[in-house]
Amino acid sequence: MGTGSEALWLGLVAAGGTLAAALIFSAVSALRLREAEQRLRDKEIDHQAVMDRLQENEYRLRAIIESEPECVKLQAADGTVLEINPAGLKLVDADSPEDIVGKRIYAVVAPEHAELYRENMRRVFAGEAVVYEFRSITLKGRTCWMETHAVPLRDARGAVYALLGITRDVTEHKLAEEQARRHQTELARVARLSTMGEMATGLAHELNQPLAAIANFARGCIRRLRGGDVAPSELIGPLEEVCRQAERASEVMRHVRDFVRKREPQLAGADINQIVRSVAKLTELETRQHGAAVRLELAPQLPRVLADPIMVEQVIGNLVRNSVEAMTEARSPRREITIRTGPNGGAGVEVEIADSGPGIDGALIDQVFDQFFTTKREGVGMGLSISRSIVESHGGTIRAESGAAGGATFRFSLQAAGQEAGGGERRHGLHR
Amino acid sequence: MSDATVFIVDDDEAVARSLRWLIESIRLEVETHASAHAFLDRFDPGRRGCLVLDVRMPGISGLELQQRLAARRAYHLPIIFITGHGDVQMAVRAVQAGAFDFVEKPFNDQDLLDRIQRAIAWDAAQRDRESQREQLRALFAGLTAREREVLGLVVEGLSNKAIALELGLSAKTVEFHRARVMEKLRARSLTDLVKLAMQLGAEA
Repeated sequence: MGTGSEALWLGLVAAGGTLAAALIFSAVSALRLREAEQRLRDKEIDHQAVMDRLQENEYRLRAIIESEPECVKLQAADGTVLEINPAGLKLVDADSPEDIVGKRIYAVVAPEHAELYRENMRRVFAGEAVVYEFRSITLKGRTCWMETHAVPLRDARGAVYALLGITRDVTEHKLAEEQARRHQTELARVARLSTMGEMATGLAHELNQPLAAIANFARGCIRRLRGGDVAPSELIGPLEEVCRQAERASEVMRHVRDFVRKREPQLAGADINQIVRSVAKLTELETRQHGAAVRLELAPQLPRVLADPIMVEQVIGNLVRNSVEAMTEARSPRREITIRTGPNGGAGVEVEIADSGPGIDGALIDQVFDQFFTTKREGVGMGLSISRSIVESHGGTIRAESGAAGGATFRFSLQAAGQEAGGGERRHGLHR
Repeated sequence: MSDATVFIVDDDEAVARSLRWLIESIRLEVETHASAHAFLDRFDPGRRGCLVLDVRMPGISGLELQQRLAARRAYHLPIIFITGHGDVQMAVRAVQAGAFDFVEKPFNDQDLLDRIQRAIAWDAAQRDRESQREQLRALFAGLTAREREVLGLVVEGLSNKAIALELGLSAKTVEFHRARVMEKLRARSLTDLVKLAMQLGAEA
């Protein structure tokens, strides 16, 4: 080996040194890399676990939603159906998801309820949770009633991006309700008829009074004419009385006809005090036979109320009869019923029927208006329930109270007659 | 009978007015009241006539008014009740409680007027008898103890002699007392005296 080989060796050594250094470096690097890789791998495993758990959760949620017997759906703000579960598909009569997903929900909302539906959508996207009922016409044209509970779904920034709706078919419930309402109307009519029976004696008396007066006036005239000592002008007054009493009798008859006729409430401006007085007359016989006295405390100058007089009479009559029966059954020594009228704080009128009977058990006071609730031995529990229906159909409210010292008080309110009511009354006037 | 009044108590103004018109046709005085309360407030037991009442009245009923009058334990006006058709039970109760009469609606006008006349006549007779009795009681009160003793024995049918013996008086003294009794009681004969004594006896 000469100088050249020396140089080569040196070079080699030098190179070897570099190589060694490089080798060492790369070994260290490799080691670091491995560590990093390991760390990365660890992280990836963690990530995977999170992903798996998320996936699992989603599967579980999906399983729940898929098997949920009620319709669950996601909708966009414009009503586009984003997702819907099988129960939902069935509800809208869709054969496959494509029939409805991606389409607007309005395809299955009855046109008359589209606006209501839109309004509720707006409220949900404004952040509210809502419950609404609407009529639906399914993809196969079936009509049904739906009830939807809808809540907003928010993204990470809190913005509402979808509506989550749970909807169920309430058709049966709705029909039952409708049927119950019709049934109630029919019962009210039946109750009116049976009330008629009770009132028949009272009405007979009501008719007999003017008839008796007519006979007396007429006979008084005949006797004087036979006696020949009467000036014709003296007979005018009594004969006018005869006419007035005949009109009074026909008024009673009109009343009976109105009472038995089945009809929708005919709301018009009415004088509540006159209605009360009329009921007091009609129930007079019954109350007196049970030793009860009815006192009237009628506020003067009340506004006219928007009411069907016959129906309001029925309410007051029911309440009076109810009091009489309660006092009779409890053998109350003092039997007094006070009917008061007065302003109700707002623009309307309040009617109060208070008795001196045993009052109402505090535990039962919330039930007295329920159908078929009765404390009476022979009651069917319809009177107060019908009364409430009537008051509510007039846009009023009714409530019961019991005094600490006994005595039940029923109060109901009626709205004051507005402009349109005055018009209705004018029309009524033209009919006559 | 000229001072008799027919009192009508009826809550139905038209009915009350019509009854007044009918009853005035036989020239009777009529006074109407809308309630038993109104009638009782102005009630003067001294006024003659009769009372025409509707059994059915709010407040104090006809029957109650009758009971209230009876509760005064003094003579009161005869009552004619007017009852509704089919109120026989009520009418029976009224008569049992001392009503003079009742008419059922619808009534015959002549029938009602006849009953009213009868009631007024009965009222007059009752009041006359009552005033006679009153008078007699006053006269009797004027007798001395001895005169009452003599009266008692005369009525029993004893002769003057027997009375004298019984009381240990002379026949002349008995005769004197007897004449005083006749004079004080205004009796014209023995028969008269016995009648008066019986009336007084019925009182006691």
